[in-house]
Amino acid sequence: MSINVLIVDDSGVMRAMILKSLRMSGLPLGETHQAGNGQEGLEVLNQHWLDLVIVDINMPIMNGEEMIDCMKENPETRDIPIVVISTEGSKTRLDKLQQKGAAFIHKPFTPEKIRDTIRDIMNLESP
Amino acid sequence: MRHIVLVGNMKVGKKGDTIVTYALGTSLGLMAYDPVAQVGGLLHAMLPLSRSDPQKAATNPCIFVDTGVPKLFKEITGMGGQKSRLILKAAGCARPVGDNEMFKIGERNYSVLKKILWKNSVLLESEDVGGTANRTVHFDLATGEVKISS
Repeated sequence: MSINVLIVDDSGVMRAMILKSLRMSGLPLGETHQAGNGQEGLEVLNQHWLDLVIVDINMPIMNGEEMIDCMKENPETRDIPIVVISTEGSKTRLDKLQQKGAAFIHKPFTPEKIRDTIRDIMNLESP
Repeated sequence: MRHIVLVGNMKVGKKGDTIVTYALGTSLGLMAYDPVAQVGGLLHAMLPLSRSDPQKAATNPCIFVDTGVPKLFKEITGMGGQKSRLILKAAGCARPVGDNEMFKIGERNYSVLKKILWKNSVLLESEDVGGTANRTVHFDLATGEVKISS
C-alpha cells in the first residue's frame, strides 16, 4: 500500500519541510500533491485519489478549518485522515478540530512527530 | 562478545555482541542498527561541535557529535550495513545538575544530532533524552533491542 498525500500550507518552505519529513519517515509514500490554501486544496482533492491530507490552519482565501468542513460535507472526502500542522494555540479551536477527527501537530515540529502521528492515525506498524 | 564503550568512544559489532555504555549524562548515546545485516554500533559522544578543538577531533572524532555520528555510519557501512536500513535510537543529552547548568551541553548535543540527521535525511526511531538522569544503555546486536536504565 502506498499513501497519496496532499500538503496544504501557504508557505512553500513549510510544504518543502513537511515533504522532506515524509520522505525521511520510511512511510510508504505514493503521489504527493501541494496546495497554497484551502480552496486550491479542495480542487486537488476533486482531481486526485488521496489517502491523507496535511493542512495548516491560518491561510489566505480559505483557511484550513473551512477546508476541513467542506471535506466533511462531501461523502467522497469525508473519511480521509487529516493531520493539522499549525502554530494555532487556541484550545477551543484545537478541541473543535479534534471533534472533527483531525490529529494535531504544533509548529515547530520534529520529523519524528509527523511520522509517529501518521503511523498512529493510519494504523501503520513501526518496523 | 560484550563491548564496553567509554566516554568519547564508539564500538561496532555484529549478531551475538552486546554493547554497553555507562553514565550517559549530558553526553549523547547513539545506537544504530541494520536489522538485515545484523550489524550495529554505539557512539558515546561528549561534546557537540568539533570546531572547539579540531586537533582533538582529528585524533578522536568520537568525542564530538558532529564528527562521531558520520564515523559511526561509516564504520557500520564498512561492516556491511546500509545507511537506508539503519534504525537509530538516541539516549542521554540530560542535565544531571538541573537547570543551573550554564553550558547546556546536553541540549546542544541533541540539537547538533538532529541537525546532522536532518541533513542526512534520517530519523530517530525512538529517543530517551533530557531530564536529570544518568543513563546506562545495553544494546543487543542480535535483535537491535536497546535497554536503558537510570
